[in-house]
Amino acid sequence: MHSRTATVIGYVLGFALLFVIWHLASQYLVSSVLFPSPFPVFERGWVLLEEGLLQESVWASMRRIIQGFLLGSAIGIPIGLAIGSFRPVRLLLEPWTEFFRFIPAVAMITVSVIWFGIGEESKIFLIAYTTVFVVVIATAAGVGAVGRDKIRAAQCLGANKLQVFALVALPATVPYILTGMRLAMANAFVTIVAAELVASNDGLGKMLWDARLFMQVEDIFVALISLGLLGFATDRVFRLLIRAFAGRFNPTM
Amino acid sequence: MVAFVELDGVGMTFRGRTGAYEAVRDFNLELSEGEFFCLLGTSGCGKTTVMNMLAGFDTPTAGQIRLEGKPVRGPGADRGVVFQGHDSLYDWLTARDNIAFGLRLRGMGARERRAVADRFLNMVGLTGQGGKHPSELSGGMKQRIQIARALANDPRMLLMDEPFGALDAMTRAVLQAELSRIWSENRKTVLFITHDIEEACALATRVGVMKRGPGGTLKAVVPIDLPFPRERTSDAFMASFRQVHELIHAEIHPHA
Ligand SMILES: Nc1ncnc2c1ncn2[C@@H]1O[C@H](COP(=O)(O)OP(=O)(O)OP(=O)(O)O)[C@@H](O)[C@H]1O
Ligand SMILES: [Mg+2]
Repeated sequence: MHSRTATVIGYVLGFALLFVIWHLASQYLVSSVLFPSPFPVFERGWVLLEEGLLQESVWASMRRIIQGFLLGSAIGIPIGLAIGSFRPVRLLLEPWTEFFRFIPAVAMITVSVIWFGIGEESKIFLIAYTTVFVVVIATAAGVGAVGRDKIRAAQCLGANKLQVFALVALPATVPYILTGMRLAMANAFVTIVAAELVASNDGLGKMLWDARLFMQVEDIFVALISLGLLGFATDRVFRLLIRAFAGRFNPTM
Repeated sequence: MVAFVELDGVGMTFRGRTGAYEAVRDFNLELSEGEFFCLLGTSGCGKTTVMNMLAGFDTPTAGQIRLEGKPVRGPGADRGVVFQGHDSLYDWLTARDNIAFGLRLRGMGARERRAVADRFLNMVGLTGQGGKHPSELSGGMKQRIQIARALANDPRMLLMDEPFGALDAMTRAVLQAELSRIWSENRKTVLFITHDIEEACALATRVGVMKRGPGGTLKAVVPIDLPFPRERTSDAFMASFRQVHELIHAEIHPHA
């Protein structure tokens, strides 16, 4: 309880300090209309909120991230489990993962727009693409890292192969899967902004692009802060989940 | 009459990048039901290798292991294992659910499982601690959970690989006394590995001393015919200790 209060106070002070430094920098270091102080940015953010425009952009981006992310995880987790559990599958699929993970999702934007148009599908495809390989690799590594004694203990308590998998390998891998998803989520933010900058009718990336066209510097900063806060919030959720599953929580019984 | 456990000319040769290494050669031993056999030897002589073969984790490259006349093929619920470290506990389960793991595999209902698990928690002196996770338990408590987990599954025999090796001297003495008490009550067959001579003499009905590897094998078996609980300061205990000590000493200083 005490440490949680301390954490919250730390965050509040940390953010406050960031804004103070930002304000001072905008006043004394680079006083230019191109680098506004936080106050006009907050004012602008408030206006955009009242008009409902900010929520619209945030929701457009988050919806794509969540859909693509869930799709990518749903594909990546079983593949990762299979690669980690069965040697032939690993030998067969490892070249794929090793090949595709070096083709970043932003490089796939053009081809995905050609295939899927500039609607939702192309973004969901890109987010799923960027998610899937990270999740596959983390999941497979997790299966490989299950302690030998954990499996042996189950065997001499009478577990068959299926039980060893479902009751030992799988729960022991959950923290690795969540860690992979956490990394993938960071990639998803990169990818969605890039995709929306290039080809989109809405979302935070589009907002950034439009603001540049019309030289609305405050709008740019509102979009940037929104991205930071959204990323921060999702990452906290994952950290809580990982801590819950890795230590004390009981996901199976 | 066939012995309960027979190790018959058992050998194990590991083949790796550095070539072949014969860890165990021509290991012969018969265990009768209900005895507490301590396997004693210097580090690296092949104790764990022998246990792994008896547990069914590894297949001997020579000879045969039989349990009640039947050759051992792979691990099974008839041989409960307590591992050297405590990495074998399931971090995501409570102490109680760890203990009940084997019962759950057999499809026992939740309520019955809980009752059995609580009985074994009491037996290892952890009454009321069943809701904690392994990360919240001390090293000694974790080894107690391992022992309770193996016992709750009601195996025919218990294999223990230096279960108290990583504990401080006081905790070790407490757990030795508890294990001895539990064994006196249920008289399960135990193969207990240790490199602590006093521990072996305090617990065992027979102590087997191994010769150093390569080609580690059983060098001598010393029966300890003393009543339980053992008086560690008694002359008879000292005599057994000295006898085993001399056998071990010859292994540590082979040319002395
Ligand atoms: N998988 C393996 N591959 C190759 N050599 C092995 C393997 N396992 C054990 N050995 C070797 O076999 C010998 C016996 O090992 P073992 O683990 O049985 O010793 P131990 O008596 O249990 O020792 P300790 O008291 O230190 O636990 C050692 O020399 C070891 O290096
Ligand atoms: Mg060993």
